[in-house]
Amino acid sequence: MKVRPGTLIPWEQRVKEYEKILGDKEIVKKEWESLEVLANRFIWFCLTDL
Amino acid sequence: MSNEMEKLYNERLERYTTANKNGKPDRVPLRIFAAEFVAKHAGYTAQEVTHDYKKAFIATRKCAKDFNWDSTNINMIYIWTGLIDNIGIRWYKIPGIDLDPNIGFQYKEPKEEDSAYMKADEYDLFIDSPTEFLANVWLPRTSKFMVPVGEPNTYRNNIAWLKGGIGMMQYLADSREAISLLKSERGVVQSVAGILKAPFDILSDKLRGFRMISADLHRRPDKVLAATEAVTPYLIQNALASADPNKLLPVGLWLHRGTMFSDKVYEKFFWPTLKEAIIQLWKNGIQTLWYGEGDWSRWYKYTAELPEGSIIYHVDKEDIFEAYKHLGNKFCISGGIPNDILAFGTPDDVRDYCKKVINGVAKDGGYIMDASAIIQSDAKIDNIKAMTEATLEYGVY
Repeated sequence: MKVRPGTLIPWEQRVKEYEKILGDKEIVKKEWESLEVLANRFIWFCLTDL
Repeated sequence: MSNEMEKLYNERLERYTTANKNGKPDRVPLRIFAAEFVAKHAGYTAQEVTHDYKKAFIATRKCAKDFNWDSTNINMIYIWTGLIDNIGIRWYKIPGIDLDPNIGFQYKEPKEEDSAYMKADEYDLFIDSPTEFLANVWLPRTSKFMVPVGEPNTYRNNIAWLKGGIGMMQYLADSREAISLLKSERGVVQSVAGILKAPFDILSDKLRGFRMISADLHRRPDKVLAATEAVTPYLIQNALASADPNKLLPVGLWLHRGTMFSDKVYEKFFWPTLKEAIIQLWKNGIQTLWYGEGDWSRWYKYTAELPEGSIIYHVDKEDIFEAYKHLGNKFCISGGIPNDILAFGTPDDVRDYCKKVINGVAKDGGYIMDASAIIQSDAKIDNIKAMTEATLEYGVY
């Protein structure tokens, strides 16, 4: 299972891609993950709801 | 919301949720699932309510008020073909485009391997990472506009993804608003929140198609089984993500293909992962509305394995009195009013049948009035009225 349920590009992967985060990492993480939920919902919405 | 409407809503919510839990409310709730019938009653074409979901919302609210329903689904037509057309989804015939504007949408079953949305040699790719497979292979293949990973990108691909994502967000936001209006203007309770699908149905409906999955059960059974197991955690997550945060409303489970295969296929390929999904939802405090399309009576012994109260068992083609005998001690029963009576019978026929069902199934509570299958445009308006009248007359405890 490469991409676990509820995610598309997990934060653990994304966080390695930043050269640095000068401010609060948790804010960056929170916003990344909130859009992960919606985008993931779209993929599965197409499968289960359309 | 006015005090009067709030009081009405709370009464209905209590009635509905008590019955869902197999309890005895003040009377049998009317939880009616109506699709193209709402268009007929409101004076819309099938094209209008299917392609313009706001008209479906208006028509549903009108029906809920006119027929005094306690609960309904804000859009039981269920798909928005405007979004289907913008993404370029291939598997529907759309009223007003492919079909006469007065005919409901139709699903096009893949006929051959060439038209299957997942190929026979792609099981491992799907099993390895279902979400990636859906995004990279399956969705581009189902769309007229999207292109798979590895092929040259196109403007139409980018726009289809953009419109798809924005369209879903628009639809979900407008649905929430319409559900809120259903509550504040009509005092009517939304029936379900969120969706679960049986893992085997996902493979059969949207990935391989009926013919191809039938062959796969013989040619590559291990792959089929592994695929149902691989997709299950994703379907559970998707159901939980779309479920009622207050845990009052059940998740909808529309079951399709389980009745079309042998006992052995059901036991090995259909039931174990479906059972697991329902139990996981129940452990999270979420009930499942088991809406088995067709006759699911062959599987009572399995369905009875589910935890008490974990499902509401909806009856379509089977004998509702048998369903009650086998499952009524554990689960609320709903439906069972034959659609052919609603379409071809008289109001007296409908009243008599509703009375018979209430007397036979609802005497201790735990029954919800509804048609056997989702009500289409063939139902007579006077017969839908009769269903309400009979429930109000005979369904009071």
